[in-house]
Amino acid sequence: MATPQDTPFPPSPPAESRREFLAGRAATAVAGALAVASLGGCGPASPPAQEGSAARRWGMVIDLRRCVACKACVASCKSENKTPPGVAYNVFIEEEQGTFPYVRRVAFTRPCMQCAKSSCAQVCPTGATYHRADGIVAVDYEKCIGCRYCIAACPYGARSFDYGHDYIEKAGNPYNEIPSSEYGASYGLRHKGGSPEGNVRKCTFCLHLQDEKGEYREPPACVRTCMGKAIHFGDLKDPEGVCVAHGEKMQALLAHRGNYRLKEELGNEPAVYYLPV
Amino acid sequence: MSESNTHAPAGGLRLLGYLVLAALSLVGLKAIIGTLADGHGALATTQHVPWGLWVALYIFFLGLSAGSFLLSTLIYVFGMKSLKPVGPLALLQALGCLLLGGLLIILDLGHPARLANVILHMNPTSAMAWMGIFYNLYILVVLVELYLAMRPRLIELASAGGAMSRWYCLLTLGSSNTSAAALARDQGWLKALGILGIPVAIAVHGGVGAIFAVTKARALWYSGLFPIIFLISALASGGALLTFLSVVTLKVPEEQKRKIVRLLARLTTGILCFDLLLLASEILVVFYGGLPHHADGWRQVLFGPYSWVFWGLQLALGTLLPILIVGGRRTGQSMKWLGFAGLLGVLGIIGARLNIVIPAQITPMFPTLPEAYHHMRYAYGYFPNSTEWQVGLGVCALGWLAFVLVRKCLPLDGQEHSATASSGGGEA
Ligand code: SF4
Ligand code: SF4
Repeated sequence: MATPQDTPFPPSPPAESRREFLAGRAATAVAGALAVASLGGCGPASPPAQEGSAARRWGMVIDLRRCVACKACVASCKSENKTPPGVAYNVFIEEEQGTFPYVRRVAFTRPCMQCAKSSCAQVCPTGATYHRADGIVAVDYEKCIGCRYCIAACPYGARSFDYGHDYIEKAGNPYNEIPSSEYGASYGLRHKGGSPEGNVRKCTFCLHLQDEKGEYREPPACVRTCMGKAIHFGDLKDPEGVCVAHGEKMQALLAHRGNYRLKEELGNEPAVYYLPV
Repeated sequence: MSESNTHAPAGGLRLLGYLVLAALSLVGLKAIIGTLADGHGALATTQHVPWGLWVALYIFFLGLSAGSFLLSTLIYVFGMKSLKPVGPLALLQALGCLLLGGLLIILDLGHPARLANVILHMNPTSAMAWMGIFYNLYILVVLVELYLAMRPRLIELASAGGAMSRWYCLLTLGSSNTSAAALARDQGWLKALGILGIPVAIAVHGGVGAIFAVTKARALWYSGLFPIIFLISALASGGALLTFLSVVTLKVPEEQKRKIVRLLARLTTGILCFDLLLLASEILVVFYGGLPHHADGWRQVLFGPYSWVFWGLQLALGTLLPILIVGGRRTGQSMKWLGFAGLLGVLGIIGARLNIVIPAQITPMFPTLPEAYHHMRYAYGYFPNSTEWQVGLGVCALGWLAFVLVRKCLPLDGQEHSATASSGGGEA
């Protein structure tokens, strides 16, 4: 079996995916001629494995001591998945503790926890939200009726309803011409009345970056963008599994400093762990 | 029989009322078409408060429906003869409210055209999916019951001649047997369907309660008492509306009507008191323990910016005042007052439904989440915007108009035994 080490990061991504990456960047900056020019070849080189590999349980270990609170993870998620305004797969949460002058800032990035016992898939009436074999919780946009029960049920606020907002409302503007690559670009361009508008959307650990075997060709956007190398991403099932971006052993990371998961008491069993500051 | 109309408003006023209703309905229809065409961008709901006014009104209507259906079983299952004249009315109310609620919840879906997925791709761990199944079953039960409850009277009216007889003939679905055996068979079916309907109605409305109750992410909802409170307040709301409609529309001899209305009003009051007890238990336990998340939701209800919905609408107007009116020595005898108490009870339940749906969602999943993303969909708080009000009020107005219309075309008043009022002249 191909392990993530076989494809060291930064792997040289296929030309197309590089172009798509550039397109994403342009979207967060000023969309202009550059973006329009890079339209042609968006979408991953190979179709993603729909159900993922049962041998894997993809998860994150987020080292808060390494995080500098630059929020690049949020920006890169926006550009990777081209999420419209009001839809966030990944947010950066900051809280202040204490009273001046004895204050401390608590901050962490919050992707979807890809819970092993997810509330969202449990309550979804249509099974549109489901668990893939590799533990990633995905949404079948064609099944989803947009009831938003999953939003009400997710304890991590990790889901957003696509209300159909655009960065620029005028039709035909460059922002709206850049397809999203999520789910293998099958829902690339949004259009009025069609999915994913009217659906609930969420972080998928960038599953469109998996190859046909369900291994990551390159790490999820937030992971590869994190300049402090705070977000580690890899297989939690394999005791020797390593971070596909930085190569550390996932289990070792978890063991050495102690770790915690958000709202552990709810029993959702997130696949996202935090290492304390 | 003229007395039964004494409480209806005079001609001019009534016309004005209809005009207002028609205007509201038109505005509502326009807003409905707008949402269907343009999607949900027009709503004020957010990523923290995904369910707003429409969902609150949905459970309001569903509660009215389940409540009045369960009350109708008092007649058809438990043989409470004295209430028999309101049987068809209760069933019609059950059906109408069910449809109005259905309309609102379908509108609330991001992809209403995929509604059938709830059945086609049913997820058995979802309370909502089960509610969908029972919802359909429930419609069937109510429809068949309504038909059976009106059948003898329909046949009678169909053969009575006059402009409407062809319409009634159509509604009989071709049946014309009014022999004693056939009537007895009807009653048997009504009873059987009523018995089937009791668990189904409980499953529908208790199921809606369960949708909320199983949501551990929102501590206010996460309580085993919740589906029960849902059911009890549903009974109260159904009884309140039935009391009101009976006062306004029931055409039976005055003495009989007084009896029926007083019985209904007292039943409703009793249920309201029980509802109060459940509520008190829940609130006391929550604040005694004071688990932060749990207490926070209730703090929103009791002391939040919209606490007047609880203290004013739900408690004072919707619960205490009706109890006082029905218990009052003079007011408890007056049709007008009892009808008014019924109306108040219904209004109060709207407050109760709003309080169930919205405050539990107000506190974001992380306190500072609204600051993490600067967009209206991530903003803190929720208040229905004009589109939501237009649709909400429009649907209520539509329902009212439809009721006025349907009442003219269906024999709702009292069945063959007591029907001496309208055309045909009862020969039972
Ligand atoms: S964090 Fe929320 S959306 Fe993600 S899997 Fe868990 S319950 Fe579902
Ligand atoms: S909004 Fe879609 S994904 Fe969420 S619970 Fe409803 S049907 Fe499932």
